[in-house]
Amino acid sequence: MDVSGILASQASKYKSIAVEKDVPLEVDVGSLSATDLNPIEEEGYKIDLEEGLQNTARDGVQALISALFQLPTQSTADGPLAMLPPPKTLLPRAKPLPKPKPPTKWERFAAAKGIQKTKKDKKVWDEVRQEWVNRWGMRGKNKEKEEQWITEVRANADIDHDPVKAARDERKARVAKNEKQQVQNLGRAAGGTRSDRKQEIVKTLASSRISTASMGKFDKKLDGEKKLRGVKRKFDPTEEPGESEKKKSLALISKIDREGPSKQSRHNHAGKSDDVLNVRKAVRIASKGKGGVALGRELGGGNRPNVRGGRGGNSKRGGKR
Amino acid sequence: MRPLTEEESKAVFTKLANYIGKNLVHLIDRPDEPYCFRLHKDRVYYVSESSMRLGISVARPNLISLGTCFGKFSKGGKFKLHISSLDYLAQYAKFKVWIKPNGEMPFLYGNHVLKAHLGRITEDTPEHQGVVIYSMNDVPLGFGVTARSTIDTRKLDPTAIIVFHQADVGEYLRDEDTLF
Repeated sequence: MDVSGILASQASKYKSIAVEKDVPLEVDVGSLSATDLNPIEEEGYKIDLEEGLQNTARDGVQALISALFQLPTQSTADGPLAMLPPPKTLLPRAKPLPKPKPPTKWERFAAAKGIQKTKKDKKVWDEVRQEWVNRWGMRGKNKEKEEQWITEVRANADIDHDPVKAARDERKARVAKNEKQQVQNLGRAAGGTRSDRKQEIVKTLASSRISTASMGKFDKKLDGEKKLRGVKRKFDPTEEPGESEKKKSLALISKIDREGPSKQSRHNHAGKSDDVLNVRKAVRIASKGKGGVALGRELGGGNRPNVRGGRGGNSKRGGKR
Repeated sequence: MRPLTEEESKAVFTKLANYIGKNLVHLIDRPDEPYCFRLHKDRVYYVSESSMRLGISVARPNLISLGTCFGKFSKGGKFKLHISSLDYLAQYAKFKVWIKPNGEMPFLYGNHVLKAHLGRITEDTPEHQGVVIYSMNDVPLGFGVTARSTIDTRKLDPTAIIVFHQADVGEYLRDEDTLF
C-alpha cells in the first residue's frame, strides 16, 4: 500500500517547522524573543502587506517555539516546564543608576587613615560550649556576661551592685550610641548645615501646631512650650527726612523700566520705543513721502549740490529711526 | 497711614505706567512740592508731604482720607485704580481716546466704548493699552483699556468694543460711599 500520497497531502496542510532564511533568525530564548534581520522584500510587501507581515511573524514564532522545545524540561503538576537560560539581549535600565550613598563619618575617617574594612563572621566559636554561636542576637556572645550563672564582683563593690544589670545597661548604651550616630549620618547625608535643619524643624513644628481643627487653640500644652509668634511686619517710617523717599521711588521706577514691560505690552511694543511719537511716520508726512534726507536738504536751503548716485539709498535709511 | 512697601509700590507704579508711561517720574519728581504715596486702610493716597505731615497727628481710626485717593489694594494684593486718580492720569496720559457726544452718556453709565462712539484715537495705540477717555471738547471722562490696536479698529463693525471700561466720572455718584 502506498501512503506517500496521503503523507504528502497531510504535510502540505501544515507548513514546515524548519525556518529557512538567508540570514538565520536570532533567537534569544531567555527573553522569549526572535529577531529577523533579513531585509524586507519590497514587492511582496507592496502586493499584500498583511500577508507578508503574518508570514514574517509566523517564521519568528516558529523559530522561537522550536528553540523552546530543545530546552531541558522539568516535569511539574501543570505539565513539563522548559528551563529558560538567562537572556542574551542586553536591555537598557528603566531607571537611572542609584546614586552612591554619601560616606558615613566612620567611612570618611577610615578612608583618611587607610583602614581596610574587615568583614566579621556572624558566628563565633564558643570554647566553653564547643560550638558556633551568634556574635549577637539570640543567645549571642555579647550577652555572655548577662547570662552566666556566676559573676565576679569587686570586693569594694556597692551592696546593691547588680553585675547582670550593669552589663546589660552597658550593652544597651552601646546600641543607643550607634543609633544616635546612624541618625547623625542620615542628617549629614541629607545635606544642609545643622542650623538650616533646625530652622526647618522649627518651621514644621510651628505649622503643625496650627494644623488642628481648632488651629491649635484647644491642644494640650506641653511643658516649656512657647507661645507661637507670627512674623512681625516692618514698614518704613511714615515720615522720612529729606529726599530719601523720592530717591527710593525713582530707583524703583528705573528698576521696573530695566526689567522691561510686562509680557503683554512687550508683545505690543515689539521693536518700538516707549515714545508715543512714531518718528518714521512723522518724517514721512513732513517730507511728503520723500524721506528724511530730502527733508533735511529742503530745510537746509536747497543751495547744496544735488548729490547723485551712491547716496540714493540714504533717503530710505534716513526715514527709519 | 504708612508708606508703601517695595512690592506695593511696584504694583502701583506698573499700573500707573500702563496709562502714563515714563511720565510717572513727573508724579514723584515734582518741581512745586514733594509728593508721596501713602497707604491707609488698603487705599493708596497721593499726597503732598506737607499735608502728609499734618495727617500724621490724626489717629488711624479717625483719619478718613487725605490727599488724592489713587486706588485701592484688593485683599489678594492687586492694585485697582480709582476714578479719583483721573486728574493726574489725564494730565500725563500717553494714549488718548475721544468719544463723540452721543457716546458720552453710555460711557458714563459704565459701558464699554463702542466703535460707533469713537471720535478720535491716538495713532498707533497698541492692543490692551491703558488709555484715558475724553469727550470731544477735551474733558476727561474716565479711563479704560483698548480692546484692539488702532489699525485693527478700522476693520471692525460699529458695534464692536474698542475700549474696555475701567472707571468713569459717573462713579463719583454711583460709588460715592466706597470711592475715597
